Amino acid sequence: MSGSYKVSYKEDMAIFQNLWVKVWLIIFIILAVFSPILLNRYQLSILNEMGIATIGALGLNLLIGYTGQLSLGHGAFLAIGAYTSALLTGKLGIPFFLSLPLSGLMASLLGLVVGIPSLRLKGLYLALGTLAFAFIVEYILFHWDLTQGDLGMAVKRIGIGDYVIRSQRQYFYLIMAFATFAVICTKNLDRSKIGRSFKAIRDRDIAAEAMGIPLAKYKVMAFGISAFYGGVAGCLMAHYNRWIVPGSFDISLSIAYIAMIIIGGLGTVLGSVLGAILITGVPHGIVYVVDLLKGDYPALSGFIIDFKLGIFGLIIVLTLLFEPKGLFGVYQRTKVYFKTWPFKY
Amino acid sequence: MEKILEVLFSGASIGAIYALIALGFVLIFKSTGILNFAQGELCMIGAFICYQFATLLNIPYILSFLIAIALGALLGSLIDLLFFRRLVGEPIYSTIMVTVGLGSILTCFSGLIWGHDVYALRSPFMNKTVSAGGMIFSQASLYTIGISILLFALFILFFNRSLLGVALKGTAEDSDTAGLMGINVKKMHMIIWAIGSTVAVVAGVFLAEQSFVQTSMSHTGIKAMSAAILGGMESLPGAIIGGFIVGIVESFAANYLSGLEMAGFHFGDIKDVVAFAIMIIVLMIRPHGIFGKEEVKRV
Repeated sequence: MSGSYKVSYKEDMAIFQNLWVKVWLIIFIILAVFSPILLNRYQLSILNEMGIATIGALGLNLLIGYTGQLSLGHGAFLAIGAYTSALLTGKLGIPFFLSLPLSGLMASLLGLVVGIPSLRLKGLYLALGTLAFAFIVEYILFHWDLTQGDLGMAVKRIGIGDYVIRSQRQYFYLIMAFATFAVICTKNLDRSKIGRSFKAIRDRDIAAEAMGIPLAKYKVMAFGISAFYGGVAGCLMAHYNRWIVPGSFDISLSIAYIAMIIIGGLGTVLGSVLGAILITGVPHGIVYVVDLLKGDYPALSGFIIDFKLGIFGLIIVLTLLFEPKGLFGVYQRTKVYFKTWPFKY
Repeated sequence: MEKILEVLFSGASIGAIYALIALGFVLIFKSTGILNFAQGELCMIGAFICYQFATLLNIPYILSFLIAIALGALLGSLIDLLFFRRLVGEPIYSTIMVTVGLGSILTCFSGLIWGHDVYALRSPFMNKTVSAGGMIFSQASLYTIGISILLFALFILFFNRSLLGVALKGTAEDSDTAGLMGINVKKMHMIIWAIGSTVAVVAGVFLAEQSFVQTSMSHTGIKAMSAAILGGMESLPGAIIGGFIVGIVESFAANYLSGLEMAGFHFGDIKDVVAFAIMIIVLMIRPHGIFGKEEVKRV
């Protein structure tokens, strides 16, 4: 519909569909390299949060957007990743570059366990199952001596040998590297056999099975991969904030991640990134506005958390009612509009 | 023995609340195909409205209860009108997500209006007890169980005997055919939403009576979902029985498992997760619940 027709299979499979993609990529790399020099610490910290959220959102989008398996427990996987890495680096002294994949694997393992009921359950039952799982994980974190309950745990700094990451700038390069890597992985997954199987299952699982896609394998795999992303995001989050409490991984975190992929666009890589940027940016925007109005309405600052929750809810509801394809749909429409201008199509 | 009876009784009184909330889930799910994740939030809003009138404005308890019910019904029909009328037949994830979003919005409103503190609802049953046969019951629990059982009987009569109830049942069974038979399906959906949120409001006020009015009351809604699952999502008696079972199991677990410690793991506040454990077990073993019909659809 956008007037770009591909004549060969290779062209369709290309990761850089046209020259513009490469140009945008170069612009992005230049910005990423120079932005730590231009921006201040607060702005960099927002970008860092966005980077971590991008990784988590990509994982959730693989599950909900690509495979069509509804999950309300993504926050639990982040919690598992965060606590695994905190325990591994803190109690056992394992270096970060090992604990990061291990925390991803731990989350992935539990993701597989949650994924098994998905073979029998569909739609709302699955949503309920994942929700119950999230509550049980939160309960365990609160009541286990190892995780120190609501006292929370201190997490070590990221260090490789003697080199320790301290400043926001160093965090920025690290997190951007991981976020970019996650995007590339997802993009590759998307255009591979696995990604196509996921989409086939989402569109019609019975037909997919008839086409020779082993449903059980791919459904469980979707849970595993999604939980891996969540675990890695949780691990980065723990090392970035350097303090974790179970309360920060509750149902509202899962809702925030769902809001990301819904506003961004289900089943698209670009959508996950846009959604992560927007939803992470919203609370900072609220804080900014409240700061501006503080002089006139001093009581306003007590309502920041309420506003945050309400705006997330509003974003989810309004997007689903009026723009189900999310920001990605808007982007696509504008692109087509300019490409075919002055004609309608 | 007396201890067991007391635990059973306190379990039944919380179970009656779960049953009421689960009834709301089942009613809305059965007729509109939407699983309302905001049921707990509706319940909380109802309790806050009752608190607003009874405690803050000093209006008699019964009257403020009735006002809360009326406002709850209004809120329910408004929700249907604003959101779910457009969403009938949409994919299941979008309807679920809209209710989740709605829950956040309702929590936001109650936080903005009433704040996040813990309040007590002033009611005629506060801190009063009845002793019978050497056991002590709180009046609030007795009242909760009594009124709930009355309500359940009324509901079953309503759905089987009255014209409107039968129309609602017909819409739930097959909305297309019901529409062809001259039933106004949109109106029926609106009535169901009103009834569903009314039930939630009643549950919220009962819950406030037994504990406090606070924002985190909405978690009870999610716990009640396990009652609905246990009973089978489509069955009204199932929801009621499931609610009582979940409440009683929870009460027993809270009494006999709390305070245990195993390998550094404390089983404190176990009543927060019993319902979820039940939910997972039911989903694993018998996803269609006790009374639900098994959908034969293998994939």
